[in-house]
Amino acid sequence: MNEKNPLWASESFWKKVAIWVTAGAFLLLVILTFDSLSQTQIGGQRVQSYSVINKKIDYVYQPDLHKSVPVIGETELLFGQEFSEEEAQKLVTLGKKTTQAKNCMNCHTLLGNGAYFAPDLTKAWLDKEWLSTDLRENLMVQFLLDPEKNARTFGSDRKMPNLHITPEEAKGVVAFLKWMSSIDTNGFPYHFKTINAKEE
Amino acid sequence: MIQPVALSDFFITFFASALIILAGACYALLFAWSKVNSHFYIKLAAYLSYGVLIVAVLLLTQAANFTGYWLWLSVVMVMGYFFAPMGIWYLCVGTHSDDSHKILEEKL
Amino acid sequence: MKVNKLCSIANDKLDFFVTWTALDRTNLSDGRKLAVNYFIVAVILFFAQLLFGIIAATQFIFPHFLYSWLDFSVNRMVHINAMVVWMLYGFIGCIYWLLEDESQTDIVGLAFGKIAFWVLTIAVTIVVLVYLFIQIGAGNDTTLWLINEGREYIEAPRWADIGIVAVVLTFFYNVVATFSKGKWSGIAGVLTLDLVALAGLYVAGMFYMTNITHEQFWWWWVIHLWVEATWEVLVGVIMAWSLMKLLGVKRKIVTTWLYIEVALMFGSGILGLGHHYFWIGTPEYWLTIGGFFSALEPIPLVAMVVHAVYDSGSHAFKNGNHPALAWVIAHAFGNFFGAGVWGFMHTLPQINLYTHGTQWSASHGHLAFFGAYATINIAFFYLAIQHWRGNVWMSGGNAHAWRWKWALGLLNVGVVGMTIALLIAGYEQSFIERAVEGSTWSGYFAAQNHPSFQSAMIWRWFFGAVTFAGLLLLIWDLLTIGKDETRKAIVIVSE
Repeated sequence: MNEKNPLWASESFWKKVAIWVTAGAFLLLVILTFDSLSQTQIGGQRVQSYSVINKKIDYVYQPDLHKSVPVIGETELLFGQEFSEEEAQKLVTLGKKTTQAKNCMNCHTLLGNGAYFAPDLTKAWLDKEWLSTDLRENLMVQFLLDPEKNARTFGSDRKMPNLHITPEEAKGVVAFLKWMSSIDTNGFPYHFKTINAKEE
Repeated sequence: MIQPVALSDFFITFFASALIILAGACYALLFAWSKVNSHFYIKLAAYLSYGVLIVAVLLLTQAANFTGYWLWLSVVMVMGYFFAPMGIWYLCVGTHSDDSHKILEEKL
Repeated sequence: MKVNKLCSIANDKLDFFVTWTALDRTNLSDGRKLAVNYFIVAVILFFAQLLFGIIAATQFIFPHFLYSWLDFSVNRMVHINAMVVWMLYGFIGCIYWLLEDESQTDIVGLAFGKIAFWVLTIAVTIVVLVYLFIQIGAGNDTTLWLINEGREYIEAPRWADIGIVAVVLTFFYNVVATFSKGKWSGIAGVLTLDLVALAGLYVAGMFYMTNITHEQFWWWWVIHLWVEATWEVLVGVIMAWSLMKLLGVKRKIVTTWLYIEVALMFGSGILGLGHHYFWIGTPEYWLTIGGFFSALEPIPLVAMVVHAVYDSGSHAFKNGNHPALAWVIAHAFGNFFGAGVWGFMHTLPQINLYTHGTQWSASHGHLAFFGAYATINIAFFYLAIQHWRGNVWMSGGNAHAWRWKWALGLLNVGVVGMTIALLIAGYEQSFIERAVEGSTWSGYFAAQNHPSFQSAMIWRWFFGAVTFAGLLLLIWDLLTIGKDETRKAIVIVSE
């Protein structure tokens, strides 16, 4: 009775539909992927060059856009040193590799992705808990070197374990966090009050 | 551009989103059932479910601040969830058109 | 020698266990013998998933528990890795199970398939041992190659990545060569293309990038396109074959519907990827694309509802394996609620801005993975054990039927309970941490310390324990069901 099926309900028709729909959706994805990757190259509008770690970074709410956007300001050196793009890339890369090697993502979230046992790191550089912009980078390094002793649990009793991070790696992680905080994340996290907002 | 949900609209957003899927499935279920068993009340219940879906879409449209092209999403949901079960039903009938389903087809 | 003594004791115990299970491998074809090997490892990893899940859940309540010995990061990593890997083992097992039947010939290169199984299993064991005992390394490439890549879900070090690809290629060779020698079918075609996509996508996640936006972009290619596209189609293939064999549905109908499903799944799922590109630095147009396609993703689920009603009106179901059918029904509900309702509740960017990276995702993840994939694998385990026992009767009135019913109940109640507890936690978190406190660290902890979050974590632990009890009962049942059964299974005649 195979012949009875109308064309629009036949096997061969749906085979073609399946192939065309899949191919079409995939092609669109490939095109969008090319566009997205080029828009998010290092040094573009959305993802800053690594030497942005030499600058002051802020994240400011824009009422007309209903979101906060990263704002790159004047010079604000990290560890009192001006990094060339190449040096900055090297330091941020060390930091990024360290965050992977220490498995940060299975407690924290980065850009909101990861586990939910510890706070989000997307704008960690800008968090007001680092007290002041002068103390910040040293507090961060000290914390990373001995998180148990320098633990700040906010009453939660949760402490980061000692991950045997070297001083150089700690600096790398801080540079990575500073660079990451300059990425345009379409307003995530929302209504974030930065360390600078407190000062102003 | 999006306008995030206001704090006071959190619950209504989650609730309306869940309701859209649930009412959509309910409507699909009752619609299909009304084809197997052409009882008036089943058909009525199907359209009632669809009514709930429309209300849910309206609630979500308001709570999630849909404006501009985002309104198309509401239109797509209202239209899509109405016609999808019909389309799928006719596909079922079409793909199964052989002897073993004759009784059912005659009923239609 | 103490070691010798221990070995002989272990050997005796193992012999005793094998005798006790009284499973007869001669009931299985060569391909199915390999399939059950995959199923056995899948169940062991399922156990590991729940064990480490419950340790991690304990650490939410008692943060000092195993602190600096087995930290949350390690437990959580093993928890999610064991899940991904056991489901893959289950799928590969299912494919080996149906391969001979579908192609109507012997598996080509089965010897390679067997070697690949052992290579994969030894590799998985080494990876897990390294996760547990070495855990972390220095911030350099050596660590990423040998210990841990530190990327959620695909943490496996690079050497293991390459091994996984090699094994998948062997598996792919088995499948394609067997169909080529035997008979191709629509199901075979979809399966082959899906496996190409499955292996190809994995490669997309194998590279190191400092640009975290690019890195997460490709990372989602693997995670999303596996879980919300290729895995779904794989389940479609397995279901299509099962419907023919278990319910006697005609091949032509099954194949047509497999194509329809592929069109719906890939049509909505591929660009549904957009809902992961809202906040990782990618352009704003993803908000629109992700929102629209996410709204379409429930359509395949609606299609299944309609089709189920249609079938119930036209078939008088006779079914030869009640536990398997019950798990397929659990799959339908779990998939609908987990992927459909829970997914859509927090997926639109207007609300996802608050829910992204909170326990919302955990709530959705628990129900969706369980409903969509755990259930269907368990259904297949029951099918496998039935044939392993010599295709015995499993259509009701079995001895000790309470075991599979209670296992089904406990596992489902446990997962639904965890899902609701995490939903409450996620709601509170998105409300207090995100909306009120503006996502700062103090806001994060304000939400974590809130009484409603704390009690939600206790409830999650409780339902986790219920799930664990369900798994223990399930394992016991799988080992014993049909043991003393003498009746043969009912015969399903194709339409």
